[in-house]
Formats: sequence, structure tokens, C-alpha cells
Amino acid sequence: MILNLFVLTPSRIVWDSEVKEIILSITSGQIGALPNHAPIVIAVDIGILRMHLNDQWLTMALMDSFARIGKNEIIILVNDAEKNSDIDPQEAHQSLEIAEAALRKVEGKRKTIKANLAFPQSRTRVETINVI
Amino acid sequence: MKLVAAAKVRRAQEAVVNARPFSETLVEVLYSINEQLQTEDVDVPLTNVRPVKKVALVVVTGDRGLCGGFNNFILKKAEARIKELKTLGLDYVVISVGKKGNSYFLRRPEIPVDKFIDGSNLPTAKEAQAIADDVFSLFVSEEVDKVELLYTKFVSLVKSDPVIHTLLPLSPKGEICDINGVCVDAAEDEFFRLTTKEGKLTVERDTIRAETADFSPILQFEQDPVQILDALLPLYLNSQILRICLGFTIDGAKPRLLERFWRLLLVLRH
Repeated sequence: MILNLFVLTPSRIVWDSEVKEIILSITSGQIGALPNHAPIVIAVDIGILRMHLNDQWLTMALMDSFARIGKNEIIILVNDAEKNSDIDPQEAHQSLEIAEAALRKVEGKRKTIKANLAFPQSRTRVETINVI
Repeated sequence: MKLVAAAKVRRAQEAVVNARPFSETLVEVLYSINEQLQTEDVDVPLTNVRPVKKVALVVVTGDRGLCGGFNNFILKKAEARIKELKTLGLDYVVISVGKKGNSYFLRRPEIPVDKFIDGSNLPTAKEAQAIADDVFSLFVSEEVDKVELLYTKFVSLVKSDPVIHTLLPLSPKGEICDINGVCVDAAEDEFFRLTTKEGKLTVERDTIRAETADFSPILQFEQDPVQILDALLPLYLNSQILRICLGFTIDGAKPRLLERFWRLLLVLRH
């Protein structure tokens, strides 16, 4: 039994393949999906998507998203997603440092909201490349 | 030359088509959630309706001056709307998208601008994201109570209307309403095809409605429906902005196409 995984952004299809299993980060922890999973809709946190295919685990950084699991078909809608192979480690670390600094110094409701979004986003990108 | 502009329109069309799987899935889940939430009060930050004291006006203009009166219509409409808001005693701030609008507002420091965003030839999700992020933080932090989007709506190859849509607060059903309260369903999608009829360039307009009846009723939710809605609506906001900007690109290409078409006619006549 095979699972079809689609990762869609508003402008293109980022990922489209068969997988054996996926693991998503959600607010209450992590959730895994195997073939024949019950149809369900999940709000997904900014975090790492792990996909198991061909005896390998690949990772992808997902920004705010949600997943719809249907009949052996998983559709993840996200504003932006990056495969771990596409992330430049140096740039990702730099963005993380900037985001961390901003979060520490931030003042004002609006800047706080922005910093609270930027930090987990850059942290996820760094974690994605660090995952083996 | 005509081919260049036509290619632009075709690329924009492709982008609209590529965006469809995203928005269709989004709409399906939105409908499903609304079915479940019918009697409940939805209290999600992006749908929060509150008394309006300050409005953010997102003004989308093109990049090139060749579009003639095109950008001027939008900017005139922006000035008119600003005047209206002032008369109503409301505060406002502008978010300018596109080179023409940016240089216009830069020359007028008396108009408060929150952000200048550069347009580009083909709007990408990253640009829509920049607009969405700015608008999101302004609205959720309650710095503004309403966000309006000013752009041109494609009517035909020779006609476009500058339109003002209320972007935020979103309706939980995902309807898009203009400032006169005329709303369009989230499931409706308009698209245009650039074709030729009897050797002339025309655009055909169709409205398609997503099949809402076929939506699976057995959709379960891992979390509270309101939590799912909370995750969904920012995505919806992004895709709406991108859709509008792409429609705008098609508009921008139009006057240049026409210009070349007339020039060609003149050349042929002689």
C-alpha cells in the first residue's frame, strides 16, 4: 500500500511523490501517517516534515501549514516549504541568529508578533539541515 | 513585441492554474469546517470584527510607465478613498506595492506609508507573503482594524475597473467582499483565457464554481475546528493576495498588447 504525498504552495507543487510514511509536527507533539490512515484534517505547526521513501528519510522545512489526509493521499498546504537539500546552512544559521536577537530585543505588540513568527521559521530551517 | 506581452499573460495564466490545486483544497476544508461550526461563534484573530478606527490601504500598481492612464486610475482611486476615510474621521496607513505607486507615495510624505514593496514582472508567492505578513501583523496587533486592497479588476481586453476589496477581517466562510458589501463566494473562481478570434486577440472570461456538493462529509479534525481554522486562514489570505496580484499582471500586460496591436494595424494600413 502506498501513500501519495503532495506538498502545495500557492504558486506551485513543491513535492509530489509516493512515500511509505510521513511524520509531522503539530502543536500537541508529532503525528505519523502510514498508508490507510483515517481521513483527517490537521493544523500543522511550523516545523519539520519527515518523509520515508526508498529506505531513506528526507526532511523538509514547513512554514505554517495544514494537512489533509484522504484515501492514501496526503495534501499539505503551506505558504512556503524548503527541502533540506535546498537550504544553505550558513544563510540559515545567520537568519537564526538575527531572529534570535530580534526576539530578545523586541518591543511593541506588532514587532513581537513578527518576531514570534520569524524565530520558529528560522529555527526550523536550521533543524531541517541538522537532522540526519 | 506582441509576443512578449502575450507570453507574460500566458505565464501569469499558468501561475493562476498552478495555484488552483492549493486554493481548491483550501476551499474544500473551509467549507467542511463551516458546516461543523454552523451554530458556534467563531473567534479567530483574522476574522475579528471590531469598531474601525484605522484602516490599512494596500495599493497595488504596475511597474512600467507604458501602461499609460492605467496606474493613474488606481492612484486617483487611492486618493479618493483616503479622502473618504478622512471625512469619516478614520485614521489610515498605506502599503504600497509596485514601482509606480512607490515613487508616487515617496513624493508625498504627508501620506503615511507603512511599507514599500517592490512589484515584479510575475508576482511570486514570496511577494504575496511579504504583503500578507505585513497586513497580518498590522491587523492582529490591532494597529489597524480593517485592511482594504485596491487593485484593478479585469473586465475585458479594453476595460478594467479599479476595485477596493476588504481583505481583513476575513469572513469565516472565506467570502471576499468589496466595500459596498457585495460578496463573492470562496468557491467561485474567475479565470480568463487569452485566445484569438478571427485573427484578433481576445480574452474569454469564465467563472467556475468548485464542486461543493462532492466534499467528503466524513472529514474528521485532529484538533478543534477553530484551531484548524486558525491555521487555515493565513494560508487563505496569502492565496487571495497572490490571486489578485496575478490578475493584476494580466491587466498590466493588456494595454501594452493593445498598443502594439494598434501600431501593427497602422503599419499594415500603410
